[in-house]
Amino acid sequence: MNALARLATGFAAALLEAWQELRIHKLRVLLSLIGVTVAVASLTTALAGAGMARQMMTETLERDGRPAMITTYAFDARSDGGPQGDDSVAQAFEKTSARFKIDYTTMIGRSYDQQVVSQGVALDAETLVVEPDYAPMHRLVMTEGRWLESEDAQNLSPAVVVDQNIIRELGLEGQQLPFTVDLVSNGNAVSVTVIGTSSSRSFGMSGQLWMLPATYEHWFSERAPLNEVSYKMWVPIEGSEELAMHFGQQMQAELPGYTVDSHREDYLMWGADESLKQLALVVSGIAVIILLLGSLSLLNVSMVTMKQRIREVGIRRSFGATTGRVFFSVMMESVVATAVAGGLGVLISVALVSNESLLNMVLATELDQMPPFPLDAALLGMGVSVAVGALTGVLPALVAARVKIVDAIRV
Amino acid sequence: MSGEPLLKLEDVTRSVRLPDDSELHILNGIDLTVSEGDHIAIVGRSGTGKSTLLNILGLLDRPTSGSLLWRGKDAARLSAKQAAHARGRDLGFVFQQFNLLPGRTALENVMAPLMYASGRDFWNRRKLATEALERVGLGGRLDSMPQTLSGGEQQRVAIARALVRRPRVVLADEPTGALDVSTGRAVMELLDSATVDSGAALITITHDSNVAALAREQFRLDSGRLHPLSEVVVP
Repeated sequence: MNALARLATGFAAALLEAWQELRIHKLRVLLSLIGVTVAVASLTTALAGAGMARQMMTETLERDGRPAMITTYAFDARSDGGPQGDDSVAQAFEKTSARFKIDYTTMIGRSYDQQVVSQGVALDAETLVVEPDYAPMHRLVMTEGRWLESEDAQNLSPAVVVDQNIIRELGLEGQQLPFTVDLVSNGNAVSVTVIGTSSSRSFGMSGQLWMLPATYEHWFSERAPLNEVSYKMWVPIEGSEELAMHFGQQMQAELPGYTVDSHREDYLMWGADESLKQLALVVSGIAVIILLLGSLSLLNVSMVTMKQRIREVGIRRSFGATTGRVFFSVMMESVVATAVAGGLGVLISVALVSNESLLNMVLATELDQMPPFPLDAALLGMGVSVAVGALTGVLPALVAARVKIVDAIRV
Repeated sequence: MSGEPLLKLEDVTRSVRLPDDSELHILNGIDLTVSEGDHIAIVGRSGTGKSTLLNILGLLDRPTSGSLLWRGKDAARLSAKQAAHARGRDLGFVFQQFNLLPGRTALENVMAPLMYASGRDFWNRRKLATEALERVGLGGRLDSMPQTLSGGEQQRVAIARALVRRPRVVLADEPTGALDVSTGRAVMELLDSATVDSGAALITITHDSNVAALAREQFRLDSGRLHPLSEVVVP
């Protein structure tokens, strides 16, 4: 315990000495550390930027389904239409997915024959007929209100969720939820209740809205039959291909007269996109070169300074500083300095990468949600700066530790 | 333990090899015993090996032959780390050129040796250093930088720094060499009284016989040999 206390005191004292030394030589330290700060800021920005861009890209891609997403279509061999979603298909899907114990499933039916009308303004809308699991399966984030629940099927006014495009185009911004709009199907208007809004997923002069299958069936299916129906399941990536194959076979057995096609359909099915990783690697490579140059200048300054501090080392040795302590103290000066420079670099990086307008400008897009600054990039930036400090500190520390006391005092 | 000498040199020699491969003998057969409370002065002309002797006494250098006993222990058997700890704990140095650490205040300079102490001394370093500076009459100059202090004040800071860890032996190498006569005398009186108060032994190396006269035991270093001053025949 005594030895431990001595070690702790020694460590605290070495840190203190290092800090005092840096305080005394502020200007020298500042000038020698500019390179390290710039390099750490670049390195962290490159990694954090790439990480955030990757996350944003992932979030965008997952709007079409989070991996692994198995899509199932059932085609009626007796008709020449698109994939069907009648009761027998729905029951077969439900039965088969229960047999395979799938937690997340949804039907997705689409209708392109409807318009949303409010205060005399009409907008073409794509209606998605989905089940409550749809939202977590497609990373659907609500901007206001809430998502659909099973109980909404009992609502006497059809409950819908609309995207921001509908809100914007119909001039409904600031309207208190819930409110009603008309949904017109082939000339027949039904008043629907908007219970929530989500970020925009549609482009141009159209919008998207979501409602439950039972709601659609009750109010709209007669006048606007669904154009296509598919069924989706969100399952673990591992073994998803085999699961899709077996699922298709089992559902096929439940549906005589239909052709069932079940396959994986998500952005990761052909493997991960490595382009961002490569860009990050190139930028990081450049940052590492800057870091090496910065380290060399730091080493150069430290070596020159150490030659001028030989006498001081001798004086400290006369006070009882051991060789190990001198080595550690000098190395800590470098480590503390680069840690401060690295911290500054990381802060600069955070300020740059977390600046929403700057990021929108660089990525040429408008972000719905600002992803947080990746902690691993900040930690890596700090780790790299401390490592650079330790590496560049070794040489001057060796010079200091090898000083002959008698010669040093005489200098 | 109280009767045991702090330092004992027996037939100590020190020589160095020169670039032309010849040997330069700096010290020859030095015998010296230093006990608690002693005040010893060693006088000699420049180049007679005074500083070399002081370095050996301060465990900064090792004899070529002969033995140095540090508190009864053969110093040759002390590891570098043990020697460093002994220097920090039991030895205080006062140098001719003061050797104050640049860029640090008087207080920080006196606190510097306490950075190598452990426990209470380390954590109370500010208080201990302030008291040490007050004892040498510099309580009002704690935050002064060395370059703003006079030579005498700088040497007083150096004395406070040498005494702050309450050493058993204080080694002063030409402590008045950079000072005028009256300031030098004041500094020596301060050093003498401070060591008397603390019970530490004081070994002063000087070429000034007036400074040496303040010591209770005086030696002259001549041709690498140490003679009691009474035996020395002035040429």
